[in-house]
Amino acid sequence: MTVVIGFEGSANKIGVGIVRDGVVLSNPRRTYITPPGQGFLPSETAKHHRSVILTVLREALQQAGLKPADIDCVAYTKGPGMGAPLVTVAIVARTVAQLWGKPLLGVNHCIGHIEMGRLVTHANNPTVLYVSGGNTQVIAYSERRYRIFGETIDIAVGNCLDRFARVIKISNDPSPGYNIEQMAKRGKEYVELPYTVKGMDVSFSGILSYIEEAAHKMLGTGQCTAEDLCFSLQETLFAMLVEITERAMAHCNSQEVLIVGGVGCNLRLQEMMGVMCKERGARLFATDESFCIDNGAMIAQAGWEMFRSGHVTELSDSWITQRYRTDEVEVTWRD
Amino acid sequence: MATTCNEDDHKLGKLEFSLLVPFPSSREASIALQSLSPDREPRKGGISKELSAAGNALSVKWTADEARILRVSVGSFLDHLALVLETMEEFGPPVTL
Repeated sequence: MTVVIGFEGSANKIGVGIVRDGVVLSNPRRTYITPPGQGFLPSETAKHHRSVILTVLREALQQAGLKPADIDCVAYTKGPGMGAPLVTVAIVARTVAQLWGKPLLGVNHCIGHIEMGRLVTHANNPTVLYVSGGNTQVIAYSERRYRIFGETIDIAVGNCLDRFARVIKISNDPSPGYNIEQMAKRGKEYVELPYTVKGMDVSFSGILSYIEEAAHKMLGTGQCTAEDLCFSLQETLFAMLVEITERAMAHCNSQEVLIVGGVGCNLRLQEMMGVMCKERGARLFATDESFCIDNGAMIAQAGWEMFRSGHVTELSDSWITQRYRTDEVEVTWRD
Repeated sequence: MATTCNEDDHKLGKLEFSLLVPFPSSREASIALQSLSPDREPRKGGISKELSAAGNALSVKWTADEARILRVSVGSFLDHLALVLETMEEFGPPVTL
């Protein structure tokens, strides 16, 4: 039996999860929610994480019914993400690893999402669409790397949605993306937006600028509703994501798609991806918000795989990094 | 906790700040050192920070060009130090190796 505790705090969620041989024993989490119209900034987010991390850690141990002595390895997010929140979480991980006399393990956040998705859905060798507030990538596994087939050339899809939510003052509670999804269901008119797929890559910043301007003009004059804009934005962004995912599947001869990351719990995205999969005779795998959205268990799960295949991180090498690409990690735990 | 600040290094024109933090034992001092030293200063130039442990104390020494930069670095270090101390209080004492 191998028990790994995982610490995650690269963005506005702070989570601590414990995994024992493929079973999630606990996975408590807190979210830093900002007022409508405001995003989360690094230092305030770090302050939030700092104020709750020890409580979340206590909860993780209590809910799992474990003592520190039962843990085999302490995993934490090394990057990518926001510097200040990453440091806050890494400091606690380093301290408890030393207090408890356990090895430490730095985990790539993106790898955490992929391994958690594989564990929960039992997808074998899927083409992965990783979509969140900070990342947008189409990934396929080949020869010991999660290789990036396509990605955003500017902002992440979740960032595009979040920033649009700020423009029209949609609530950030529980998340701007969730609220856009609910409003989109009531949208009636499709407002045409730029569609910017560039080969295997996508671009969202121009769409954001366009819809910001459209919002100011059209909402004032009553030409369309906020719901129409939410609907139009989702349809456009998700169609682009489905297109590049399908192209990656064709390249790799893949019959499975796994959607991970915070935007991955959007049911409209899952529905659109499902239609494409059905047409190709492929299978779609997705998870709900407990595992799609950043959480500690995903870091524990990737850490479990890494630890079992012999990885540990020396304290002197345990620095965090804001940039850390998915394909930098050698995947030693898969064939 | 003992602090000193001297600006008398006129030749270099640098600000210096040093901090001494006592711990219950050398083990805790070493844990704090290893928890706080891996991450480099986010700023590229204008400041350097050196951490070391001697006996049961953690010692930190800053050299900076400007007081503004020094204040930010010391402030953030103290926040991180407080987090380490709280973590030790709640999840310590360290196991015997």
